[in-house]
Amino acid sequence: MFTALYLKEWKEKALIFFFELGILVLLVLAQFFLREKKDIQEWLIYAVLILFYPFAALILGAAGFEAEYRQGAWAYLFSRPVRKSTVWFAKFAALLSMLAALWLVFVVLWIALPGIRELAGGARVLLRFSVESEFPWWSMLQSGFLLTVAFSLSLLHERQFNILFLALGVGFFLPAASWAVMNSWPGGFMAWLSPERVLPTFLICQVLIALAFAAASILTLARSDFSQPRKLTLGFVRWFAPLLLLALAGTAAWAILTPVSGERYLYHFALSQGDAYYKTHHGVFKYSAAADRVQWLAKGKGLGFGWAMDSSGGKIAYTAYDIKSKKDIEEELWVVNADGSGRKRIFGRGVRENGWPQDASIMDLLISPDGTKIAILSSSYRDKPKARRSSPLWLADTDGTRLESLPDDPVLFGDGRMFCWVRLVAWVQAGKSLLLEKRSSPSPSTFNLWLYDVGGRTGRMLLDDAVTASWLSPVSPDGELLAIKHQQAPKGPWKLAMLNFKTLATTDITASTAEAQGQVSSQISWDPKGARIAYVSRRKQTDGPDVYSLVVNSLAGQKTLAEKVMTKSEAAAQLYSPSWTAGGAGLVVLDREADSLRIFGPDFIEIDRIALPTRLATPYGLTIVGDQALIQDDATSSLWCCDLKKKTWKRLY
Amino acid sequence: MSELLRIQHLSKIFGRNRVLEDFDLAVESGRVYGLLGRNGEGKTTLARILMGVIPADGGEVSYKGRRISFGDSAYKREFGYVPEDPFFYEDMTVRGLLDFNARFYPRWDRKRAASDLERFALDPRSRVGTLSRGMKLKLGLAVALAAAPEFLILDDPTSGLDVPTRQDFLRDIIRELAASGTTILFATHMVHELERIVERLLVLHGGRLIVDEDFEAVKARYQASLEDIFVSLVADKA
Repeated sequence: MFTALYLKEWKEKALIFFFELGILVLLVLAQFFLREKKDIQEWLIYAVLILFYPFAALILGAAGFEAEYRQGAWAYLFSRPVRKSTVWFAKFAALLSMLAALWLVFVVLWIALPGIRELAGGARVLLRFSVESEFPWWSMLQSGFLLTVAFSLSLLHERQFNILFLALGVGFFLPAASWAVMNSWPGGFMAWLSPERVLPTFLICQVLIALAFAAASILTLARSDFSQPRKLTLGFVRWFAPLLLLALAGTAAWAILTPVSGERYLYHFALSQGDAYYKTHHGVFKYSAAADRVQWLAKGKGLGFGWAMDSSGGKIAYTAYDIKSKKDIEEELWVVNADGSGRKRIFGRGVRENGWPQDASIMDLLISPDGTKIAILSSSYRDKPKARRSSPLWLADTDGTRLESLPDDPVLFGDGRMFCWVRLVAWVQAGKSLLLEKRSSPSPSTFNLWLYDVGGRTGRMLLDDAVTASWLSPVSPDGELLAIKHQQAPKGPWKLAMLNFKTLATTDITASTAEAQGQVSSQISWDPKGARIAYVSRRKQTDGPDVYSLVVNSLAGQKTLAEKVMTKSEAAAQLYSPSWTAGGAGLVVLDREADSLRIFGPDFIEIDRIALPTRLATPYGLTIVGDQALIQDDATSSLWCCDLKKKTWKRLY
Repeated sequence: MSELLRIQHLSKIFGRNRVLEDFDLAVESGRVYGLLGRNGEGKTTLARILMGVIPADGGEVSYKGRRISFGDSAYKREFGYVPEDPFFYEDMTVRGLLDFNARFYPRWDRKRAASDLERFALDPRSRVGTLSRGMKLKLGLAVALAAAPEFLILDDPTSGLDVPTRQDFLRDIIRELAASGTTILFATHMVHELERIVERLLVLHGGRLIVDEDFEAVKARYQASLEDIFVSLVADKA
């Protein structure tokens, strides 16, 4: 029965099919005749992908029930011993196979002719879609979608022309509107900006809406009275409305739940008083290790990359984006107490009365130790030459008042002509000065530490050829020392040293330790009391490749407490960032070669290993808080937690 | 004779027009039923509901003891249907329409189809769209008969037929089918045609059956022609 109906449809619609095929052949032939005119060839490809296939699909779909209406044969067809759903599927299959046959022409050309591939790739760029494959799947899916919509609607009305335009309007408007809403509302930051997000969301939306149309159409056909057009239309609407809502909910769920590279993110860890603080694209979170509980401190979409927490753990500053449209995005700066209370916007849309430049973004944030002030570094020094830029350095009270700019310093911030990168490191001298790290190029690259006197509003270079020894936590737990790497001679070895914030003097701590022969190659990890540091050191070997060792140094005696060879692989060594366990009783090292956490006891002898979960594909960023080890997964931007005592894993985010 | 079809409390409304209301009917197998009713009384609606073309608004229909619902299709393999308006796929040929239908009916009789084409002087190569209304009706009849139905619904099929074919149809075909045990529901407003073939008379008026009785008994009671009986019955109820 299906075959009989399928063949009947093919015979009925053959004229339309061959007419469309003829147009396609003409367009293809035109490609060969216009070989010398690349621009016209390109527009012809656009015409085929953007106009021909969608309209061919619309015309085929709109003709779905044309014969039954025009010839009054619907009563005859429905009186045959065949299910109405079979009628629907046979008709749809016939029309879909016609569209597939039309696409087959393009697929063959696409495979056979590199020129077509290149031009079709151009259409991809035109539509600002980014997909892995150059093949224009978007056009294929779009035409399939329009075929479904037009076919579904064709059973409601006898006039194909009306159906065609209704399907065109509904087919474009519905997914576009719902896609826009779904992206803006739950999709959050990057939903509009990330090309990886745009196409998949739109395609998912189209597929779900097409299913809603198809299901409503089948149900209407199976249950409604064709002799009463008004009842037929109402029946369709009654089925379609809830299905459309389901389709939109499905799109929203997909937008929320599916991780998309570049949109979902997790970063900026801070540890304070046994709690871990982190930021995702859903907001700011606090993980209490003792209670094993996650607290949502601040909800927000479009969270930016700026982040700071004061050393006493009282306040958090973070950036966010207020996205009205793709072209209307405002960066905001927020401050919230560590318990989630007192959320306050420092500046953003409509509150820029203090002159924060509209075109500048926030590069870095630093809250003073007492939590009352926040230093803000703007991107203006990187974007513009000195003459045309506003001040890069700003100060504000964390209660949202007194936003003010500090005088620009071209020596510190560069003149805009060469690469210059600055970051805020620490408030020093009881909050009177800011320590900044500066890297600049071209070659030879320079690395300096700078001191900016907030009261005197001047900066001076404190140390040349020096950088912080750790990206995330270079400052000792008591806030008095800064771990730095210091190069005493050009091209000489980088030595580990400590900068005292009170005296601004440096103490070389590697001269008399094992590090004298090595090179720090990982983040420095301070023990909770600030008496010891642990890191991975690269040791040169006279015979064979370098080895990477886990090193523990005592600051008091300036001696090496332990040294253990870990690996010869540089790639593996870069992930061996050691972390101290609670109370500083031992160390935990993330070992990707062994796919495990390696636990070292008080005498730094390995006492245990905990295997990593298989779903944790690309672990990095080990952080110990209480008895829990937190690890991020770079592939999925997820956060995992391991109970070091129970040796159990769970996913926090 | 066993009960073939039972209709209970059937209702159908078009807008504000209640065409069928609380309609009941029991059909026994092997009999010829004549359904009389004026234009617009619901004869075609009843036929379409039985054929699953349109849904009923209420009530139920059972065939061979099994309840059938709108959307069921298997029971229709045993039904033949000649609609009042012979709208077929006009781009098909006569042979194409027969081949198309042959796939739906397991008891399709190709020989019967061929002989009926000859009997009705239908050219298998003709396009359906070129046929006259009368020829289309003949084609519809040929399709219905080739399906070898147990239950044949004829919805006013003779109104477009020429006199010789109508005579042939009424005298020979219906009697032949009745003799072979096919149950027939013959709906018409042309009363005199029923007189020669009907066994049980059904008169539809105001959405209900006002007569459901053996024709011989009705004739004996009224002592008049069927046309006079019908007019008096409808007039009484009006």
